[in-house]
Amino acid sequence: MIFHSLDFLIFVVLLVPLYWTLPHRWQNILLLVGSYVFYGWVHPWFLTLIFATTSIDYCSARGMDAWPARRKTCLWLSIITNFGLLGFFKYFNFFVDNVAEVLALLGWQVPRPMLNIVLPVGISFYTFQSMSYTIDVYWRHTKARTSLVDIATFVSFFPHLVAGPIMRATNLLPQVETARRFSAAAARDATLLIAWGFFKKLVIADNVGVIANKVFALKVPEFYVLWAGVFAFCIQIYADFSAYTDIARGTAKWFGFDLIKNFEHPYLATSPTEFWRRWNISLSTWFRDYVFLPIAYRLSRRIESDRMLFLDSTTWAYIGGMLVTMLVAGLWHGASWNYVIWGAYHGVLLGLARVAGAIGRPSRRVQRWLTPFQIAGMFVLTNIGWLLFRETEFAALVRDFGLSPFGSSVLGRHTGAYLFFLALLYSIPLWVQSFWAELRGRDLVSAIIADEVRTDARVVTAQALLAGLLFAGVLVLHSVTSLDFIYFQF
Amino acid sequence: MRRPGRQHSQGIALVVVIVGLLLVPLGLRAVNVAARSPNAVASYIPSVESPRQRSPFDAEAVATLREASNDFILIGDSMAGTRIDPGHLTRLIGGYGAAALFHPGCGSAYSYLTFKNLVVIPRLRPKAVIFFFRDENLTDPLWRVYPGSLDRVARDREPVLDEILAARANGTFYRLHRAVRALYQYDETRAWLQPILINAPVAWSAGWRARKKLLETINNEVFTLEALRPMAAADMQTGTGDAFEFAKNLSTSVLPEILRLAKTSGIRAAFVRVQRRPVGNAPPNQPPALQSYVRKLREYLAANGAVFHDDWGDPDQPLSIYEDGDHIGRDFRRYYTELFYRKNPEIFR
Repeated sequence: MIFHSLDFLIFVVLLVPLYWTLPHRWQNILLLVGSYVFYGWVHPWFLTLIFATTSIDYCSARGMDAWPARRKTCLWLSIITNFGLLGFFKYFNFFVDNVAEVLALLGWQVPRPMLNIVLPVGISFYTFQSMSYTIDVYWRHTKARTSLVDIATFVSFFPHLVAGPIMRATNLLPQVETARRFSAAAARDATLLIAWGFFKKLVIADNVGVIANKVFALKVPEFYVLWAGVFAFCIQIYADFSAYTDIARGTAKWFGFDLIKNFEHPYLATSPTEFWRRWNISLSTWFRDYVFLPIAYRLSRRIESDRMLFLDSTTWAYIGGMLVTMLVAGLWHGASWNYVIWGAYHGVLLGLARVAGAIGRPSRRVQRWLTPFQIAGMFVLTNIGWLLFRETEFAALVRDFGLSPFGSSVLGRHTGAYLFFLALLYSIPLWVQSFWAELRGRDLVSAIIADEVRTDARVVTAQALLAGLLFAGVLVLHSVTSLDFIYFQF
Repeated sequence: MRRPGRQHSQGIALVVVIVGLLLVPLGLRAVNVAARSPNAVASYIPSVESPRQRSPFDAEAVATLREASNDFILIGDSMAGTRIDPGHLTRLIGGYGAAALFHPGCGSAYSYLTFKNLVVIPRLRPKAVIFFFRDENLTDPLWRVYPGSLDRVARDREPVLDEILAARANGTFYRLHRAVRALYQYDETRAWLQPILINAPVAWSAGWRARKKLLETINNEVFTLEALRPMAAADMQTGTGDAFEFAKNLSTSVLPEILRLAKTSGIRAAFVRVQRRPVGNAPPNQPPALQSYVRKLREYLAANGAVFHDDWGDPDQPLSIYEDGDHIGRDFRRYYTELFYRKNPEIFR
């Protein structure tokens, strides 16, 4: 089931009243059944995979409790099985294709058995979420649970099941286990979040997505046209993904759950490090805690000398850990080399930022003047990254970077300018919200809804008006071409 | 501990926000009244189209057909137009001959309206009406339906087609969609606001001279079919997905309605699937899903007393007779017409 469908709206409208009439245990059972209906709506066989992942992680965690001497074995059982399923469904064709290519280079022609099945949506998200539970149990950050219903509800909780935010067991499981009470204030927040999410998806992301798709369908785009398309994609992916998160958070609030914020206006970041603190926060913190920190820790213990090439061992451990982490993060996004290159690109940027930080920092006064330039510079670097992310053909990528603004025709310049301004026009609400947040300390929507206990007429009227305007905007300005959420494919 | 008073006011605030969400868009109706063109009239397919100025129904065509009293009426798009020479077909079949109601760039919705409004309602009695189509077009009523495309063959109200298009466009809950659409009239706002949005950046993008035809030039010179990567064509060749699911698409297509009209008015209906462009010496690629679709279509038509003829794989239609795309060359029109007549004794008996 997809969020931007009437099926989903009716599903939620039926589920919410029923949910709040039930006692806590039955609420969890209803959520579990609802989540499985939601996930298996189009392809019921997806349910076998999510159930397999849930069962294995449930058993692994219980195993750690039952056989303390075999904790590591239980952890590896979970990791191997989870990565096995993920690898098979997501990377099998990629792996076979690349092995065959390498063998062909060596002169061996081998058949390429291809897996001709639909990639189960959200498999990367729920696998990581489920795995975080067993890892946290292994690290003793949380205890193994005895209720399979609770674990299954935690893994499959439908609002964020297919595209995050990835919730940790330490955060979401206690919410599953604790009795919840309906909060009209939270529901009010939720309504605005959902309305804003739908606006971002259907009006901003889908309209600028059409521009990006058109440009990336061109055999040989001109310089200005290409970069207008990259700009459109940059808007699309942010609006699309953050819209999913907002709808997910809003829907979860209606059921009494709090999901974490996944974005903090990433295009206003001043450095690569800050960008990753603002972009897909749940995934970047997952990689930080479960991949980067263990690697960087091991590296820092192995690097024996205190300084190498003017940098201390901690910086080298950081750079090494970050490169590996970002390569894996790139591959997590999809079975294609362009994602790996994109990950490596960000790994290098993060490494360079660390080196620059180690060399020195400007004074606070200079920093204030530098900030707008840093934001602009980081935005350009981010867009270069999005070109790597969006362009799947390597030859086209090489050609794209070879394009020159001076080789562009007049029509190419006009077309590029037109597409850029059109994308900018559709994205105005997004920029207003981001700049508002940066200058006023909180975003436009939150500025109205954050103080949830306020019920004075002025605030409530503003909220009602905002909700209505967003809904009217969706009705009038939604794109004719309805695109899938980009992160569904990951 | 929560105070009941505070809970109460939170509840009221929630209701106010939800009511605001539902009521504010009603303001679109007021905006529309101010922005509406005085010549706009309600569409004959209101579930998928907002009020607009329309071209009149082609009553002259009805009069011409009535006068000619043809034995055969052929309905189709440019696929039929580039294949059939109606004058030559008339010579071949003799009698009152054949009338061709061909309209380039039309789909099955157009064929249905043509049949209903130009043949069935005026009570014409041809021996057969022959519909030309490609692959799954008969069960895709939305194909080539855009504002004004059906005007010349549509009456003031087309409730049956409206129902079919709404069901296809909006799925299971199309009645709810229709109710929301009628309530907020957002499509009417969209009709005048969307062009303003699309055109606004033109003024910021080019000089005064280039501005005038910028969008047209972008469409015709930058995003031409030739400029696109071949993946679109590849997608078409793959031909999987919902479009080839015959049973699923039939109920929301015009085909059952065409057959019902044919049956009640005593007219024999014939359906001709034209062959797409061959690949070298071989017939065009036909994925398994399409093969299954055609088999089911054939069975369905036979069960409903209609004739089905499939051009696919005909050795007499090699690549050499094709011109652009799936169109047949002008020089081969008579050739195809003769072929068509010769290979379809069941239709022309």
